[in-house]
Amino acid sequence: MQFTLVVYGAPHSSEGAATALRFARALLQSGHAIYRVFFYSDGVHNGSALAAPPQDEQDLLSQWQALERNHKLDLTICIAAAQRRGVLSPSEASRLEKTSGNLADGFELAGLGQLAEASAVSDRVVTFGG
Amino acid sequence: MPQSKSILALCRHAPYGNTLAREGLEAVLACAAMDQTPEVLLINDGVFQLLQQNPEQIGEKNLHRNLQALPMFGVEILYVCRKSVEQRGLCPDDLCVPGAEITLLDDTGTFIGKFDQVLSF
Repeated sequence: MQFTLVVYGAPHSSEGAATALRFARALLQSGHAIYRVFFYSDGVHNGSALAAPPQDEQDLLSQWQALERNHKLDLTICIAAAQRRGVLSPSEASRLEKTSGNLADGFELAGLGQLAEASAVSDRVVTFGG
Repeated sequence: MPQSKSILALCRHAPYGNTLAREGLEAVLACAAMDQTPEVLLINDGVFQLLQQNPEQIGEKNLHRNLQALPMFGVEILYVCRKSVEQRGLCPDDLCVPGAEITLLDDTGTFIGKFDQVLSF
C-alpha cells in the first residue's frame, strides 16, 4: 500500500515527530511504500540542519536522512511554512536577504500543491502531531 | 490532475491559539486550486473559527479572509459538528461565513467515514 505521512510536530517539542519517523520505518520494513513525507506547520523544523540536541537524546534529523538515502524517500517541506519559521535553502536565504540557509541535506522545499497531489495518489494519508 | 479521491479537511483548532487553524485553511485553498477540492468539517475548537473575530487587537491577521475565500475556490458548504457547537455554548446563528452555507451535522463519524482521505488540521 502507498502511504503519505504529514508531519506537524517539531523535533524535541512534539512526540509526533519521532512517532512519524518510527511509523515510516515500520511501513518500509512491512513492505509498504511511502510516496511522500510532507512536513507542514511546526513540522518544518525537522528539516533544519542547525538543531544540535545533546548526545544522549535522539537525533531525528540523521535518522530521516538515513531513511532518505536508503529508501529514496521524498522528504518535502512546505516552503511557505518554512519561510515563516526560518528554515531556508541557501538560494531562498539569498533571495530573502538572510545571512544563511539551514535546510538539511535530503529535504526539498516545495509548495502545498505537493500535499494535494500526494493525497490524490496515495492509498492512505496519516498525520502526526498538531 | 483529475480528482480521484474524495478528501475531507478537518479543522479542529481555534483560530489564533495554534497556527494550524490558518495553515489548515491555506492547505484547503491550495488543494482546491489543484482541483483536489476537499469538503470542510469544523469540529472541536475549530467551530470557534466561524465566530466574528477582531484579532487586530492581538496583532493577527483575520482568519475570516481565508474562510471567505473558500466559496470562491469551490468550497461552498461548511460542515459543522453540532455537538462541538453545543458543548461550547455557542449559538448556531452566530456561526457565519459570507457566501458559504453552514450545515450542522449530528453524526460526524459516519460523515468522516465516507471520505477516501482525511487531512486533519
